[in-house]
Amino acid sequence: MVIATADAIVDETEIVAPPASRVPLVIRVLFGRPTRAVATVILLLFALMAIIGPMLYPNNLRVDPEHIFAGPSAKHWLGTDYAGADVLAEILVGSRYVITSAIIAGILMVAIGTAVGLISGYYRGVAESGLMRITDFMLTLPSLPLLIVLSQKWKFGSPLMMGLILGITGWAFIARPIRSQALSLRERGFLEAARGLGLPARHVIWREILPNVAPFVAMNLLLSFIGSIYAQTGLFFLGAVPYSSTNWGVMLRQAVEGGALQASSAIAYLLAPMGCIMLINLCVVLLLDATDELFNPRLRG
Amino acid sequence: MVDLIVRPRAGETIDTDAAVRIRDLTVVYKTAAGELPAVSHANLTLRAGEITGLVGESGSGKSTLALSILNGVRAPGRISTGSVDVVNAGDVTTLAGAELRQVRGGTVGYVFQASQNSLNPLKTIGKQLLDLGRSHGVADPKSLIRRARELAEQMGMDADRVIMSHQHELSGGMRQRVGIIFALVLNAKVLILDEPTTALDMLSQAAVLEIVRQVHKERHLATLIVTHDMGVVAELADRLAVMYGGRLVEDGPALDVLRQPEHPYTAALIRAMPRIVGDTASARALPGRPPDLMTVPRRGCVFRDRCPLAMPKCADTEPQLVEWMPGRHRACYADLSDVTAFAAQPATSVGAAAQPTATATPEAGSDTVTEGAGQ
Amino acid sequence: MIEAHGIRRTYHRRTLLGRTDVKALRGVDFELPNGGAISFIGESGCGKTTLGKILTGLESYDEGTLMIDGVDVAKTSGKKRARLFRQVQMIHQDPYSALNPTRTIRQILGDPLAMRASELGKPKSWIDERAAELLNLVGLDAEGVLPKYPHALSGGQRQRIVIARALTVDPEVLIADECVSMIDVSMRLGILKLLRDLRADLGISLMFITHDVATARYIGDGGELHVIYRGEVIERGPTDQVITEPVHPYTQCLLSAVPVMHGLEESGSDRLVPLATLDERVAADGCLFAPRCPFAQANCSTEHPTLMSYAGDDGHRHACFYPEPRRVVATELAV
Repeated sequence: MVIATADAIVDETEIVAPPASRVPLVIRVLFGRPTRAVATVILLLFALMAIIGPMLYPNNLRVDPEHIFAGPSAKHWLGTDYAGADVLAEILVGSRYVITSAIIAGILMVAIGTAVGLISGYYRGVAESGLMRITDFMLTLPSLPLLIVLSQKWKFGSPLMMGLILGITGWAFIARPIRSQALSLRERGFLEAARGLGLPARHVIWREILPNVAPFVAMNLLLSFIGSIYAQTGLFFLGAVPYSSTNWGVMLRQAVEGGALQASSAIAYLLAPMGCIMLINLCVVLLLDATDELFNPRLRG
Repeated sequence: MVDLIVRPRAGETIDTDAAVRIRDLTVVYKTAAGELPAVSHANLTLRAGEITGLVGESGSGKSTLALSILNGVRAPGRISTGSVDVVNAGDVTTLAGAELRQVRGGTVGYVFQASQNSLNPLKTIGKQLLDLGRSHGVADPKSLIRRARELAEQMGMDADRVIMSHQHELSGGMRQRVGIIFALVLNAKVLILDEPTTALDMLSQAAVLEIVRQVHKERHLATLIVTHDMGVVAELADRLAVMYGGRLVEDGPALDVLRQPEHPYTAALIRAMPRIVGDTASARALPGRPPDLMTVPRRGCVFRDRCPLAMPKCADTEPQLVEWMPGRHRACYADLSDVTAFAAQPATSVGAAAQPTATATPEAGSDTVTEGAGQ
Repeated sequence: MIEAHGIRRTYHRRTLLGRTDVKALRGVDFELPNGGAISFIGESGCGKTTLGKILTGLESYDEGTLMIDGVDVAKTSGKKRARLFRQVQMIHQDPYSALNPTRTIRQILGDPLAMRASELGKPKSWIDERAAELLNLVGLDAEGVLPKYPHALSGGQRQRIVIARALTVDPEVLIADECVSMIDVSMRLGILKLLRDLRADLGISLMFITHDVATARYIGDGGELHVIYRGEVIERGPTDQVITEPVHPYTQCLLSAVPVMHGLEESGSDRLVPLATLDERVAADGCLFAPRCPFAQANCSTEHPTLMSYAGDDGHRHACFYPEPRRVVATELAV
């Protein structure tokens, strides 16, 4: 009786799995596909814009009363606004407010919402119902009128303020779905096992449940980011909130007020901020499926 | 084309009862490492009036082989060589579209694993029967309902209740029986059951197997039962075919194969089964893990790393499936007497290690019954 | 180690049409000694899974007493109660959902071991050592397995890791609920023998819950078999005795359903099938099995049989007014 030894056959049973990559995961995921690579680069450009944009121009943009609502030209790539100031400059300057406040809002919304969702999904009893009642209350608050009222009290001049307010009014929408996910995971064997083993609640919530809802959280972070951009742009556009700085929402409002819809040459003034918002939206959407790959070990391979 | 027999090729003897003839079938799947075979050069014949048990672990290719009888292998898999001749239909690998649909259900009835996956959760059973009739161009779809009722009563179910139910209102055993009804309601001549009793408890399992036996006998079908549990078919099957790593390694009359297995894998598999009688100490699990698509050896015998009778020859060329006795085939280089001696031994340290160990290689292999492609 | 008396559990379902109660357990008694083994056999829905959950503390019970290690669990609460139930670890049926897909094996074993380390006052280095020790104990190559994620391992390997994880808290009892039913038949024996060896070497008591009677034979000597029907134990005794000499018609039906390996075995001469399929709605005045019993007599539907000894042997008990040993199990053929 001959017993085959394993090493004699090693070269035949070639394991054909692809070799483990040396490139860091994030780089691989974000630049793996052409669409994602392009989207990532564009978003990075916008981030750059937000950081250095306002530094490129003086506080008060140079106005050129001779050329109000001029169309795109060699001197003014995107034309001029109602006061003759360069639209491109306004885009670059205004980006900081928009992007910063959206980031703050997004992070705040997701942080509070996830925490509330996970805690109320894990604990039963008073903690659960208490948190849920608060969440329901926040959900029923009419955010638009609230924001209008609040804007009378506080100036939304700083992006921090705007981000804070949007974040605090918006987290409830995330808490509920996160809670549902946490509840459905409860029945999974590994969570029952964690309870049986006596693992502490803190560990179970943050180390066991959270990584399993991470793709959802990341996706919501991106969506909240875009949502916040739309929210604040909308607020400024509707004139619901008085403005005191340059930002894209303000530009849209002034464009419409200034009759940009009628004067065809001023179309650039209207389209520039709109275009930026839509471009950011598109790029974020293209990256949404990357979040699943980033956080799901099974897809990473 | 109305063929009552599967036409033999030149040089082959006429097998008047052959309802399905699989010749040299190879099914490949597209992976990151190229096209890998899930089934390799399979030869199998199913005859009317015979129940054949196709036994193999996960990753053996048994489900893929069964699906090929329907020409149902989908991308990223495809049939690369070979033919599957089915009675009244010819070579199904050459059929497509409406012709193929007629064969599916009309000639070949397929009962899927865990039938809940093949039933529409939103429609009642009755409605789905009507859909089936329509898609097969049945002149009077209501006659299907009548036939289904007869079958349901025969299987001990309340026909009215079943017809009006949705799939979630039925128990596991009932769903499986409904699956069998769907497979037979169009008077198929070939019945294929893929893991028919996996999710069922013992009593339901016995009931379903008894129904299969009855229905098979009454309609003189050619029945194929695909399973990983040899015990399930040991009582029912007339013939047994054993698969490993995409190859058929042994086949023959069930009684003979069980009593005198002539392939080391078959012998080891029989010994590895938990049984209700017999010495518990002599039972021995197979060491190692069954290969899957990625880890099947490319050269030589696929079983050699777990085989206690392996020789140097086994690493070089793959043994062919040969008929060593009328009606019995095996694919092994070991002498018949050596295999018999191995099978008769009570307890030996089998293979490379007495304890199954995790190999250091990054396989994502499977040894459970609910895995997908490449099975 | 575990003593259960009269455990009852009813699920209440409230619908618009009123309240329906499903009696999952109707008074179950048993004693699991240190290092002992009991197998619970029954159809799906008979209450055996509920019993497992009650014993691990995941579910509560309505009536009865449950003593773990001599302590009545009803009299404990909070941390003490959690500690008590920690001595009873469950091995689930599904090795796929039993491990957190986002954590490596090192982390999965490390989490409870870190807890243990601080309890026992061991240094951090002990965690890795102990993890490797446990993995070797369950027959896995520690180095190969620790850095992996669960999805890279097979079902059998995962089940072994589940067992290793259960062992991290040094339990006294392992409850295996259908723990091999999702694993290929050829690999099942490996897991069953592992459980048997753990029992023999470490003195861990085993409670084996399954619908597959054959697997119950492999968890070691001196085991008991309890047959559950609709929440009631209707026959119990030494494993081999109940299998070869069953006296309750339901046990006989279950054993008759085991397929016979033609060529190797000969079918039992008295095999039975139940008369009808299980219907939960049937009320429980007399014997619960009476509507399906091929041997039911008149009084079976009106009087409720309780567990009684068979032929004076207190080790073998049954709940039938007309017990009769029948040859339902196959016998081995001389090859």
